Amino acid sequence: MKKYLYIIKTQIIKSMTYEFNVYGNIVMQTIIMITSSYFWKALYRNQNSAAGVNAEDMLTYIIMSSVLSVLLITNVERRIEQSVGKGTVATDMMKPVNLFGVYFAEDIGSILALVFQNMLPILLIGSLLIKVPVMKDSGDLPLFLLSVLLSFLINWLIAALFGMIAFTAVNISALIQVKKHLIRLLSGSIIPIWFFPESVSKVLSALPFIYIYQLPLSIYIGRGSRAEHLAQLQIQFVWLLILAGVFVAVQRQVTRKVMVQGG
Amino acid sequence: MKRTVFQELRHYLDVTAQVIRMAVLTVFEYPSNIAGWLISNPLQFIMGFAIIKFVVESFGEINGWNYGQLAVLYGISVISHALSMIFFVQGWFMGYFVIEGEFDRYLTRPLGVLYQFFFTNINIFGITDLIPGILVFVYGCMKCGLQITWFFVIQVIVMLIGATLIRGGIYILLGSTSFHTRSAVDFGQYTQEIMDKTTMYPISMYPEGMQFILTYLIPIGWVSFYPVSGLLGIENGVCNGFVVSFITLAVGVLVMLIAGAYFTAGLKKYESAGN
Repeated sequence: MKKYLYIIKTQIIKSMTYEFNVYGNIVMQTIIMITSSYFWKALYRNQNSAAGVNAEDMLTYIIMSSVLSVLLITNVERRIEQSVGKGTVATDMMKPVNLFGVYFAEDIGSILALVFQNMLPILLIGSLLIKVPVMKDSGDLPLFLLSVLLSFLINWLIAALFGMIAFTAVNISALIQVKKHLIRLLSGSIIPIWFFPESVSKVLSALPFIYIYQLPLSIYIGRGSRAEHLAQLQIQFVWLLILAGVFVAVQRQVTRKVMVQGG
Repeated sequence: MKRTVFQELRHYLDVTAQVIRMAVLTVFEYPSNIAGWLISNPLQFIMGFAIIKFVVESFGEINGWNYGQLAVLYGISVISHALSMIFFVQGWFMGYFVIEGEFDRYLTRPLGVLYQFFFTNINIFGITDLIPGILVFVYGCMKCGLQITWFFVIQVIVMLIGATLIRGGIYILLGSTSFHTRSAVDFGQYTQEIMDKTTMYPISMYPEGMQFILTYLIPIGWVSFYPVSGLLGIENGVCNGFVVSFITLAVGVLVMLIAGAYFTAGLKKYESAGN
């Protein structure tokens, strides 16, 4: 455990040195927040509420979506691609730490740095320029935090699983983009799926993506009852277990493959 | 030996044809890679468009634009994006060329530097964006029940050339700042995000100050919003009618000329890599 804590610490220090990337993401999220806020304002011009959500709640939703997106930045898929592409993966695996544990610790380190470098500035900018995103019912806070934690883990596992494809395809830069768009559009990060037609939203509810953005954000803006939230949290947890299971199985598979090839 | 303008132009066209042939060949060198982009890029735009469809179905319309009209707007936006990706995407990476001293190679050759910079690096992958753009555009035209006449086709081609030049000019302008700042900042992602949000939806939904900037200062409004509203006869408060697509072309040429001048001025300051 101590080894991984060191990795987290090193990663935090590393993240502190690349300043431009940090400002870059703030600029990016600000653009997204501001333009989407006008987009929703234009849509809500003629009506007070749509799909049970009013304009104010929708603005809170998009600000919190930008804030949450900072926690959901992963680098594991690129790290796997690099390590496979350069051929260092065999030697990396011989080190006395779990390779994926290292990647996980690195991502945790980056995110801890980003909470201060990115998340708080974005929250501040959103509050100043759009509105203060107040939580609907502060009694839901524990539920919200729990669902954010689960959403972080689900998101990381999906990223890691995509990264594993590099073991067979080597170059996965196009696939990483596919994954980015899939998550962006199917998770409700830009537009919650309750605006989608019945059939589409049913299909999406059966996939793990909406548990990354939409569930925590729905809890935050208080859409749906507490009982509904609890039920969805359970499904979220089941998805986490399923993905973790797949991850462990795939990890075993690729490790064996590398061991065979690497001798 | 002094060549006439005509000969010079023919020489450039000759080189362009060769360069495009080479670019196509390099694409087929890595078939698995293009397969990936063939899935990734269209997926992005088709899903983006699906979202517009769903939102419009829930809300009726966006600022007086109905679903078919939004599809035409989205189509023009994506097609011009694709064309600018094919010919001008290098502008995003100009900073690296400046830092690494890559312009040395171009300066020694008997062709225009700006021409070489863009055309020896033609990005055929942009076609993967072009296809979904055309699909959505044609679909939108059908939804709007538009009459396809020769004049309509000419208007569309003219506005696309104009829109591509505006986008390309902006990339060159941003890229050329590297000559002065000596840093390799990749503006691509931000430019892309801003362009997406301002060309895929009607800019009339933004506050007036922002609309003013997008019309007169950074003419992104002319990429899709004004020409498409002119084409479909939607009131936009600035200018309407068939003339808009030709104004778009004029704006594009103007942006390109400014960008070219700024690039040339920057190149004079260029000192190659090292010291």
